[in-house]
Amino acid sequence: MSADTVAVRRRARRRPDWAGLGLGLALTLVILVPMLVVITWSFSNVWRYPSILPQQMGLKFWQATLARADVWSALVTSLSLASVVTLLSTVICLPAAYAFARLKFWGRDVLFFSFLAGQAFPKFGLLVAIAAIFLQLNLISTFWGVVLIQLVGTLLFMIWIPVAAFQAVDRRMEEAARDAGAGPLRVFWSITLPQAAPTIFSAVLLSFVGTFYETEGAWLIGAPQIRTMPVLMITFINNQPVIQYGAVLSVLLWVPSLVALVFTRRVIGSSTFARGFGG
Amino acid sequence: MTKVRVPSGAGESRGPLGLLLVAVPVFLLGWMTVWPILSGLVTTLFPKDAAGFSLELYDRFFSDDYSLDNLRLTLWTCGVTSLILLAVSVPLALYLRFARGPLASYVQTLAMFPMFVPSIILAFAFIRVLGPNGTVDTILNALGLAKIRSPYLTVWGPVIGLVWDNIPLTVLILTSGLGAVPNPAIEAARDVGARPLTLFVHIILPRMWSSIFVVISLTILGLFTAFTLPYVLGPASPEMMGPFMQRTFSDLRNPEMALTQATIVMGFCILFGLFYVRSVARNRRD
Repeated sequence: MSADTVAVRRRARRRPDWAGLGLGLALTLVILVPMLVVITWSFSNVWRYPSILPQQMGLKFWQATLARADVWSALVTSLSLASVVTLLSTVICLPAAYAFARLKFWGRDVLFFSFLAGQAFPKFGLLVAIAAIFLQLNLISTFWGVVLIQLVGTLLFMIWIPVAAFQAVDRRMEEAARDAGAGPLRVFWSITLPQAAPTIFSAVLLSFVGTFYETEGAWLIGAPQIRTMPVLMITFINNQPVIQYGAVLSVLLWVPSLVALVFTRRVIGSSTFARGFGG
Repeated sequence: MTKVRVPSGAGESRGPLGLLLVAVPVFLLGWMTVWPILSGLVTTLFPKDAAGFSLELYDRFFSDDYSLDNLRLTLWTCGVTSLILLAVSVPLALYLRFARGPLASYVQTLAMFPMFVPSIILAFAFIRVLGPNGTVDTILNALGLAKIRSPYLTVWGPVIGLVWDNIPLTVLILTSGLGAVPNPAIEAARDVGARPLTLFVHIILPRMWSSIFVVISLTILGLFTAFTLPYVLGPASPEMMGPFMQRTFSDLRNPEMALTQATIVMGFCILFGLFYVRSVARNRRD
């Protein structure tokens, strides 16, 4: 490297990062501030226009929201849906993922890529087509109807992410264990699964959180009997004149997403994640 | 020699086992993706009222002004949102590709943040900030300025919400595409005195086209039938296809017509869908 380029590099480094400052400021205003406004609303007892800050802060509406029966029943519905869907998805998808990653069978590649089929269609259009079938099966407005529709939504990444995890397991360790006399189940349980577990855990967590927030299927298939948290939130936005109820519910609703953010940051930051979307 | 194992050699004999393990998810996929689409086509092409094959339902859609307005609004929203999304995300992705340091990671964290904000919370925040007497109005009022014309319940409501919602994935895919631009090429161009714009148009853009197409297909697929944001933030009439289909199905209790709308929407998206799936599959295979 010549002295010239070093000097150029130094000068470039010392120059303030105007682009970064501009983008950072713009994103703060557009992305962070709206969220702070919602959080502030949830902690304000009184906030009348045109005051810039709430006239009175407090937990009044947290207590009021948590005392509402509809909030609790929606929370129970959402949690049971997300748990049942995630459990079912884990039970049917992990063995399938293992098979796709390790076993050879007829039509393996075609079947593996067929899970992309759902991605080729606009989601709500497909939902309407499914709803038309559910109508004949009397699954509209039932718990299991919503379970089915949300279960299908988890298939793609509950198979694709674990397949990648199983493929990444060090085969030499498995072979060493087999040579030492371990049976296939023992090898799977003690060698394969522990290595694949962290990635599989992210997939399971994403499936739980994704299902918890799934709104469109729940709205189309579940209404009016099945009311999840996001569905309740829509009715709050449309019909609830007291703003704080919606604000508290938003902050409550957000908790699972923040948990997911902490646990899946590494997976999402990676370039493999972007490539999984075709990037 | 006996130690050498063909990795999947053991599996070949277990042919039926593999199929058995994948059977349930494959069945679900067929039952709830392939079957509804085929059944939808058959139901709408052979309607109950007609004796056999008939385009009557499609005819009704394409001769109804309200339906056409909704379709037009949907196409407009898709176009405008994609353009704004690219205008916002390309600079972000370019910045993130070349910048290092704490400021760059701050920008990246914020750009990824909407991925962790469910659309419904976004809708609520949108109304609190840009709605009537929202934060923007409050601040303008404090500065002695006039209120804004709120985009809430206008065609711009869904556009703003959808752009916000789609920034993370768009930036991720574009940044990953920019990874394909080799540093030496850029440095070489800089050394011969290329200006940033020339650099962008001649060196970077040609290598970005494929990710831009992927992003556009993905966004169009998502936007064409977006439901939550248009339903909450958009105008009641005309409405985008997502809320329109939902209303036709649930409120008007006309599944046949809703199915027709869904089939038309899928027809509009089929090229984007095939292109998108092909790129994902190609990436996965590499």
